[in-house]
Amino acid sequence: MAHVPLTPIGRPRTDVLDERAWREHQEKLAPLEEKLRARRAEVESGWGDKYVERVHAKGKLTTRERLARLADPGTDLFEVGTFVNYGDTFGDKPLTSPAAGVVTAFARVEGRWCMVIANDNTVASGSWWPRTPEKIERAQMMALRLKLPTVYLVDCSGLFLPEQSRSFPGAKGAGHIFKMNSLLSASGVPQIAGVFGDCIAGGGYMPIISDRVYMTEQAYMVIAGAALIKGAKSQKLTSLGIGGPEVHVHQSGCADVRVPDDETAIDAIRREVARLPSSAADYYRGGAGAIEPAHPPRELAGILPVDHRESYDAMEVLARLTDQSLFWECMPHIGEEIVCGVGKVGGLYAGFVINRQGLVGDPEHPDEHRPAAILYRGGIAKVAAFSRACNDDGIPLIWLQDISGFDIGTEAERQGLLAYGSSLIYTNSTNDVPMFTVLLRKASGAGYYAMSGLPYDPVVQLSTSISRLSVMEGRTLAIATYNSKLDDDFEIVTQDEDERREIAEGMRAVEKRIEADMDPYVAARQMDTDEIVELGALRDWLEVFVEASYQSTGHRRIKNPRIWSLHDLRELHEGIR
Amino acid sequence: MAGFVGFHRLFVANRGEVAARIARTCDRLGVTPVFGVSEADADAPYVEGRESVVLGPARAAFSYLDPVRVVQAAKQARCTAVHPGWGFLAENPRFAALCEQHGLTFVGPPAHVMHLMGKKTPAKDAMRAAGLTLIPGSVGVLADAEEARRVADEVGYPVLLKAESGGGGRGMRVARSADEVASAYQDASAEARAAFGDPRLYLEKLIEGGRHVEIQLLADRYGKAIHLGERDCTVQRNHQKLIEESPSPVLDPEERARTLEAAVRATEAIGYVGAGTMEFLMDEDGTLRFMEMNTRLQVEHCVSEERSGIDLVEEQLRVAAGQPLRIRQEDVTLRGHAIECRINAEDPSDGFRPTPGALEAWEVPAMDGIRVDTHVRQGYVVPPHYDSLICKVIAYGDDRDQACDRMIAALEGLKVEGISTTAPMHVAILKSDAFRKSDYDTRAIPGWPA
Repeated sequence: MAHVPLTPIGRPRTDVLDERAWREHQEKLAPLEEKLRARRAEVESGWGDKYVERVHAKGKLTTRERLARLADPGTDLFEVGTFVNYGDTFGDKPLTSPAAGVVTAFARVEGRWCMVIANDNTVASGSWWPRTPEKIERAQMMALRLKLPTVYLVDCSGLFLPEQSRSFPGAKGAGHIFKMNSLLSASGVPQIAGVFGDCIAGGGYMPIISDRVYMTEQAYMVIAGAALIKGAKSQKLTSLGIGGPEVHVHQSGCADVRVPDDETAIDAIRREVARLPSSAADYYRGGAGAIEPAHPPRELAGILPVDHRESYDAMEVLARLTDQSLFWECMPHIGEEIVCGVGKVGGLYAGFVINRQGLVGDPEHPDEHRPAAILYRGGIAKVAAFSRACNDDGIPLIWLQDISGFDIGTEAERQGLLAYGSSLIYTNSTNDVPMFTVLLRKASGAGYYAMSGLPYDPVVQLSTSISRLSVMEGRTLAIATYNSKLDDDFEIVTQDEDERREIAEGMRAVEKRIEADMDPYVAARQMDTDEIVELGALRDWLEVFVEASYQSTGHRRIKNPRIWSLHDLRELHEGIR
Repeated sequence: MAGFVGFHRLFVANRGEVAARIARTCDRLGVTPVFGVSEADADAPYVEGRESVVLGPARAAFSYLDPVRVVQAAKQARCTAVHPGWGFLAENPRFAALCEQHGLTFVGPPAHVMHLMGKKTPAKDAMRAAGLTLIPGSVGVLADAEEARRVADEVGYPVLLKAESGGGGRGMRVARSADEVASAYQDASAEARAAFGDPRLYLEKLIEGGRHVEIQLLADRYGKAIHLGERDCTVQRNHQKLIEESPSPVLDPEERARTLEAAVRATEAIGYVGAGTMEFLMDEDGTLRFMEMNTRLQVEHCVSEERSGIDLVEEQLRVAAGQPLRIRQEDVTLRGHAIECRINAEDPSDGFRPTPGALEAWEVPAMDGIRVDTHVRQGYVVPPHYDSLICKVIAYGDDRDQACDRMIAALEGLKVEGISTTAPMHVAILKSDAFRKSDYDTRAIPGWPA
């Protein structure tokens, strides 16, 4: 049997925090997470009841009803991109586009994790808004990276035309969806489509590359609808007549199966998924099972202080994410500012990298301490070696960021942190093992990049309601901006009262703007993060990610622990025993 | 090698009577036992001439109950397997997982099965699905007091509200009528939240009295399970078993057959491995209702051994080493009647006050049909730190009366000086009419004043 020397970590909550701090943290977090729930509910309601009734009047299901029927009973959907376009408006009216008019979610179907991409038929009949194509492509990329069966529930009246210049052209323009369809197909990822209504132009292409295409009696797929065909009115041509199931299932062969209604289509898609190979996750569990952490994951909401300047014990976070709160910390004596190690999530091994907070030892000056939550030479080298080993060993990697950046100053430069950083960047950039990144709180500067922030292609990047994503904190950025006007202690040099006021105001304005930009909803709106989640739900999300990483066989190296290079690292680091 | 079961060195992560018991089987099989001992037990007689590793100080939290110390000691002693005995870490799934992660075979079920059985409603759900009869109550946890009231009305009063994450009687309230449900729910839920951080409750019909019957099970890693019959453990004091016997003198044969079969099926269904016990409450209609599963060897396992002739520790080790069960159900023959009395260092006439101290004299008579399992001898000092069990006397007879008479003779011949024990109480019980006529339940000890 393979030894992976996990050991118990974590303390009961009552030992971690006193009652007062615990309550205080919870009270500060509660309104933020309440806002998150409220906003999610707002997005989920689409354009509201009127549009739901309209869909029902046609004898159709709403997109959310379709999703509920598609997923296994009693399971949750894990939606990504909920807040894309949140707060943006389009056109002259102006119109909102909740969830950018498309729901993308990890859903468990017949026991297998699938990526479901479903046009929201309660928002402008499933039109594509600016960022809708990007959101769809992002979901397709997640599916491609994890080799997850992909299900399209298509009900799309085409581009929202007044804003076509922001969704039609460009590298991520709508047509790139079909390129992604093709890449998925070329990689052997199963794609199944159900067509439920209008599928005009691009909407018609989204399903057609799928392995199986189902059409309901209300569905049609056309390159151009009746509206654009000359004489259509006098000839009484309808889009349904031109491109309905009668045409595409029986004559053109563009679709495969004709079904009477939404319910039948969804049930048929479930049966398709059931024909796929079952999940390999249980195989990789090796007869062991999933066991929840010994310390309740819900306690994360309260263990993490909302104030990003307050510290906490990173091990207590890991203790609330790993099965039975068992963890193997790798190379604990090097780079104390960051923890690397292995734990199980849902019975499956995952690599964790998390920043320590507060003060840690300084190997250069053994009598001194230095702040954690940034990276020094040792930590960077450790993370690079760990990341490379996890990639070699096929262990999915989870990055838990709460980092302000790299160490700076003369010593840091002399030590060559730039070079250390480049090695880490190379490693993370060339990894093909699935990586998932969580912005617990701070995600600043080079730290955000070094720990596989979105620019380094994690499969998914999650934010929390207390995430702060920016190149640096507002105050620091204001100092950098006004550097030429400040002295050694960052105090304003000039003694001229007016000038002083102007500089001070300018710095405040910069700080304020950065603060506003760090709002996680801004990042989510512009797709700089994939989803905002509640802290207490983090473990649920990781369970999905890790299980999805182990689901498909035949393409990734998930090695037997006996041949993990991590074990060699341990021997090299701690001496042969 | 004769008797070889697959392990050369077995770490015994326990103390006292069970440690000695495990070692006895090891000796017979040619396995070297290594005892993990606390400082308090380092010089105990049962450790003499044995290999041992000191785990830590007398206080169990720093020795017998510390999973990391135990695993380190077992590795250090070059053991390949760990027997947890009973109590201490025996039902700790984190310890079971820790052993496996560090390359030590845990003699017991897989961690996730142990974990499942340690959780109240998931365990009940699994057992219900496998066809066992449960105590009537809620399916899963309750949504709110409203639901509690509805379920209570359905199953009939009195009812018991219990914490999903509970234990030790905390987070538990009785409601004797509909108007008591709401406040019982609030109180139990608040107490559960405070004690376990989990306010969720489930509800069961309160069965007052009743008899405690349990089934001994044994399963291998290949999905095969057998039973070794039932034990009746109705003679209890505050849920502490005093006397166990097999067969149960009051169990209806049809109910016995039905439940034994269902219990085996359930054991197989959950993927159980090793020795385990399902505990049932026998209600006034004689129906056995599942309460919980103990995922370990029990103190009273000897009763089943005496009736079946099977060494349960040996079978545990064989199964842990990956051997398929070598006994088929039809090969298990349960003969005669066996009774076990637990001899504790307690004074039963003084509220069962523990009586640690030196055994100035200790003599157990050798008699026909009497088995004595103990780790003590003359001069042994009973330490104050641990449970007070010093000896188990198991009497076997062709029938219950013969077993009882032999037990009485053995206990009357027992010579103990220096400390008080529960032996005189056992004699009084065994001689009582109530015990002889099987006219008692869990609420009172037959033949012994409350």
